[in-house]
Amino acid sequence: MTTQVSRDGARLGFRLTLPAQILVLFIALFPLLMQLYISLTDWSPLTGAQWTRAWEYWNNFLNYVDLVQDRKLWGSIGRTLLIIAVCVPIEFFLGLMLATLFVDDFPGKRVAYSILIAPMMVVPAVAGYMFFMLFQSGGPVNDLLSWFTAEPVAIAWLSQPNTALIAVMVADIWQWTPLMFLILLAGLVGVPEDQMKAASLLGANAVQRFFTIVIPRMKTIMIIALSIRVIECLKIFDTLYIMTGGGPGDATQTLSVYIYDITQNDLIWGYVAAIALAILIVLSVLCVWAMKRMAR
Amino acid sequence: MSQIRLENLVKRFGGFTALKTMDLTIGDGEFMALLGPSGCGKSTTMNMIAGMEAPTEGRILFGDRDMAGVPMGARGVGFVFQNYAIFTHMSVRRNLDYGLRMTGRPADEVKKRTEAMAELLGLTPLLDRPAAGLSVNILQRLAIGRSAVMEPAIFLLDEPLSNVDAIFRAVMRTELKSLQRQFRQTMVYVTHDQLEAMTMADRIAVMDHGVLQQVGTPLDVYNAPANTFVARFIGSPGMNLCPGLLVESDAGLAVDLGPRGVTPPLPAALAAAARKAPREVIYGFRPEEVQLANSGPALRLPLVLAERIGARTILHLGDPDNAIKAVFQGNPAIADGNVAIQPVPDRVRLFDQATGTAIGGM
Repeated sequence: MTTQVSRDGARLGFRLTLPAQILVLFIALFPLLMQLYISLTDWSPLTGAQWTRAWEYWNNFLNYVDLVQDRKLWGSIGRTLLIIAVCVPIEFFLGLMLATLFVDDFPGKRVAYSILIAPMMVVPAVAGYMFFMLFQSGGPVNDLLSWFTAEPVAIAWLSQPNTALIAVMVADIWQWTPLMFLILLAGLVGVPEDQMKAASLLGANAVQRFFTIVIPRMKTIMIIALSIRVIECLKIFDTLYIMTGGGPGDATQTLSVYIYDITQNDLIWGYVAAIALAILIVLSVLCVWAMKRMAR
Repeated sequence: MSQIRLENLVKRFGGFTALKTMDLTIGDGEFMALLGPSGCGKSTTMNMIAGMEAPTEGRILFGDRDMAGVPMGARGVGFVFQNYAIFTHMSVRRNLDYGLRMTGRPADEVKKRTEAMAELLGLTPLLDRPAAGLSVNILQRLAIGRSAVMEPAIFLLDEPLSNVDAIFRAVMRTELKSLQRQFRQTMVYVTHDQLEAMTMADRIAVMDHGVLQQVGTPLDVYNAPANTFVARFIGSPGMNLCPGLLVESDAGLAVDLGPRGVTPPLPAALAAAARKAPREVIYGFRPEEVQLANSGPALRLPLVLAERIGARTILHLGDPDNAIKAVFQGNPAIADGNVAIQPVPDRVRLFDQATGTAIGGM
């Protein structure tokens, strides 16, 4: 009797959610399968054939062999990881320091708060153009440096490999430290005040309180903040592309920029599909592993 | 050394005065209860002793040492929070030895003292359990132990029993009192529950609206309340307070309570003091210090309600909104209609109607 009812219920539930299921199928599964299909071929829009007939260009997994040997790809992955390794920790510590300042009240807090989170609201393309202007050799950054060092500075920031990378990182830090700050502030406010007082009364100094009470209490939120930024940073594109276009040479060519370039310029879409799919699989495995660790 | 002196202590928050000129000396090893309704300034006083808040005016001295500017971690004060503020992300052991670890004691000393404290409080079997999810009585013992292990000279407790149900509170009261006997430290105990204050404290400081009303032993405060606030606040039910006029009668000075009648004559000592006071007075007597009158001068009042709780009977007499209460042991037979009561003559108190302060000493 009850099994009959629950089976009917399940069947009704299936029918009711069918439109949503079809939608998910089309927006998630279909492109994925299409990508998998194309990634196994040499098909490109230049062949003149419909993508459905890509099987005519089957290449025996050559795309996947190629991507393992693609030095430009590995170079771009390396640069992306470098940007993550530099930017995320800096954003984290800056955000944490600012959040610590903002836990207590001080005059002008609301105004300072609004100014602080403004960069996050700026459209990345606009931010990119802004930093493009700032880092011109006759631009404000050099003016500022000249003023500090008291001698004329004219660094062509965006046309030298190392300085271009620095400029790109500065832009990312400027734009995304506020997000770190917001998330960490929410975590800091949630640390119970009486536990902090209890720790003080037991003789713990500010540093000890931070490591024994604040950090353990904020562990989850810190992991979330770091994960968000690592994932976002892995996809870094818009601001960077407007500032340098991946150049000079390939000095700031990150993973996204590289994929964009070979899609737009080389039009080897079978290979692009293979790269994208490989990255997706690697990241999914990493995410599942990280989630499992976090759950513990 | 661990005497606490509060001198002209004032605390203002913006325009609001939480504490008005408080002077209080708490002796070495004394258990002092700060008692008063919520918002009376008792917690503010304690937070200032602990160093969580700075006084607006006045001084706090531990022994001869002025504590102004001494940070809370350096005051040598143990503090038990209302909600215990246990570090729930640590084990019981890590909670107990937190202070010792943070102040950099050698590892073997930390271990020895922590385990001795755990043994004393019966926490040994729980040492390696996480502190989250322990029962309230364990949490309370842990909170006390965590402070006690630092051997503070002064112990401050902020309503530690207010989150506990009534039955358990009785158990905890005895436990706390025996802990204080073991530690022999100066204890300041903030509470709004007079029963806690009366049963545990050596002396009680009664506070209201940021003003210290009276300081004395529990029996002093009960027997000789300094003013009408203390009279009403201490005792359950509180003292009966009836406004009236002093009148000269054949048998001596008495109080005319208007529609409630004229009281029996006042005892000689009180009458002598009353002759020097204004005529408008408040006549006060404890509900439990009343006899049923068979003859002679008495207050005759209509019975509104008789609450019989087995061991005691509480009569509500007169005006239902402002009833005089009388408490009798056991279950005396009470006829409906008027009840004649006589306050025990020696136990009657008089207060000045204008100021509310007591007339005549004990």
